[in-house]
Amino acid sequence: MSPTPEQPHPVTVEERLFSLVLALIATQIGLTKTDILSTVQGYRQRFRVGADNASLERQFERDKDDIRELGIPLETIESPDDPGSNHHLRYRIPKGLYDLPADIAFSPDEIMLLKLAAAVWREGSLSAESRRALTKLNSLGIDSSDPVIGYAPSLRAREPSFEPLGKAMDRGQVVAFLYLKPGESEPRRRVVAPLAVVLHEGRWHLYGADQEAGATRTFLLARIVGPVVTVPGATSQRADDGQGERALAELDALWRAQVALITVEPGSDAAVRLSKRGAPGRADGSVELHYTDVNILADELAGYGPEVYVLSPPTLIDAVLQRLRRVRDSHAALPTPGDEAAR
Amino acid sequence: MTAKPAAFGASDKLTFLLSLVPFLMDHDRVSVTAVADHFGVSPQRVRDAVNLIAMSGVPGETRQYLHGDLFDIQWDEFEANDNIVLTHLVAIDDSPRFSAREAAALIAGLQYLSALPENGDRDAIATLMAKLTRSSTGAPSQLAVSRTDAYVTISVIQAAVRAGTQVEFDYLNSRGTAEHRCVDPLRIESVDNAWYLRGWCHLREAMRTFRLDRMSELRSTDVPADAHDDGVLLPDTLFEGSADDLTVTIELPAAALELLADYGPVPVGVGAAGQLSRAQLRVSHFHGLKRLVAGLAGVVTVVDPGQARQTVADWAAAGAARYDEPPAEHGGSAERTSA
Repeated sequence: MSPTPEQPHPVTVEERLFSLVLALIATQIGLTKTDILSTVQGYRQRFRVGADNASLERQFERDKDDIRELGIPLETIESPDDPGSNHHLRYRIPKGLYDLPADIAFSPDEIMLLKLAAAVWREGSLSAESRRALTKLNSLGIDSSDPVIGYAPSLRAREPSFEPLGKAMDRGQVVAFLYLKPGESEPRRRVVAPLAVVLHEGRWHLYGADQEAGATRTFLLARIVGPVVTVPGATSQRADDGQGERALAELDALWRAQVALITVEPGSDAAVRLSKRGAPGRADGSVELHYTDVNILADELAGYGPEVYVLSPPTLIDAVLQRLRRVRDSHAALPTPGDEAAR
Repeated sequence: MTAKPAAFGASDKLTFLLSLVPFLMDHDRVSVTAVADHFGVSPQRVRDAVNLIAMSGVPGETRQYLHGDLFDIQWDEFEANDNIVLTHLVAIDDSPRFSAREAAALIAGLQYLSALPENGDRDAIATLMAKLTRSSTGAPSQLAVSRTDAYVTISVIQAAVRAGTQVEFDYLNSRGTAEHRCVDPLRIESVDNAWYLRGWCHLREAMRTFRLDRMSELRSTDVPADAHDDGVLLPDTLFEGSADDLTVTIELPAAALELLADYGPVPVGVGAAGQLSRAQLRVSHFHGLKRLVAGLAGVVTVVDPGQARQTVADWAAAGAARYDEPPAEHGGSAERTSA
């Protein structure tokens, strides 16, 4: 009684993609492009025998990319008789690599945690990735245990560089961007093979191999100004496991090694907020603050104006004082128009 | 430029189709509403997907999509009773793996959660992360999140939310005024490393949002919290505008506008010197502004109004003046700045 697919109806994008996945899983030896375009639902309706199918071929190329982006292992097999020929390439999806490994199981508590973890990304591209991951988890049919009430923890990656950096990492691409280094006022172009993107002390950092320095460097995403572009022709090894942990460990080690001693004005915003973050120093009213970057800490401390007095280290004192003087001087009363020449 | 959750597109629909098949296979007979509840989608989306699945399949030997090459369901049961009974399967019978990005998003989310009191079981979380890694196609991209440090405050408030009791604390608002607050805690929200309590403030008799790092002397009480409508979220921008906001004009390099995204700057043209951009910000008072601008030395300059410039200049001058003379022994009480 089922309606047959021969009835004319417009084939939606999802129906075409679904049919393509089914066809490529069902085949053992793989299908050639012509097989696919001439027989698979959504393509065959538009396929013309003996004619130019260029736009349909481009459609297939895009569909392949979309399917791979979803984590579906779409393989290309070269013909043993005709290696290097595009014409005889075969496509397939090996079922063993498509299926979730059989020994993977999740408990109701784990499902609950994963739902909470997915909800952490409330905006941007990772919210879509999380949503798809949850859909796949739901296919296992496991009910989640009761969620923790009263929580809405969320991570944001507002920085426009976040998404292009993630894509470049996945594809092993080298990128270039303008970087406004803390403490400098002119941005400089940097060429980097991205290895990891990490959140440390509330800031997103890029950990990558700086192609000019020939060494790994850490960049603040908030300080990447302008677009992130891929460098054509340049590729890098795909980052191996543990780069994220390595980046965090480096930042942690730096954070532990560097400590500033400050005093805070009692009852002030600085006293309430910085005292929580640091440890009490030996002197009354003093606070020990660990930090990763002297310029970033100096920016923050300068914001507290007279509420903070830096005791050490000298580089931090200089950096804070220089900032405060700069702000003071750049906000001096504006010259009247007649004085313009004197500036 | 605020990023919104992405719309439900073809990729999501395909993922749903591929996920629905193994679920239906495991359930001999299941209602559309039960499936909708389980997947968190509308019943109509489930019906659409089932209709599509039941008409789909593989080209087969004949390349004609004959009946045996297609999925099938009990149509009467579906059309009359809104129940789904899958009677024939094609090609797939298992859940798909995660993509590297999907696994990375969940792993980073778990790392973030592992800092919270309720989810402190690091071993369980590590096991779960390993499972995700093994369940993904390709190594998850390297996305990592360090721990947060608001632990104690969060657990006190969390316990009060559970128990339905009030909390009290001293709160320093952004103008620098400290007040004692009694609050019915509704939920804890966070954005990255900044944590907020959303609750009913008995002093203001209104819903208020408090930054956890501005609280002191937090303690839970035995006083029951009143009943409130839940479902309030932090606004996208941390600063909600009001009618009596002041407009300030600033000058900064165009690229640096992103540093101020939270404040919703509106570009208004090119600065006097030609190289800098001008933008307008709305602020509730200049005390927040002076802290913001002093924290962005060399990047942002206030142009107008004069009073805002003066407030910023005085703030920075007072800060710089502290280094002009050797500090009094930093005993705290002897020190006073011009306030």
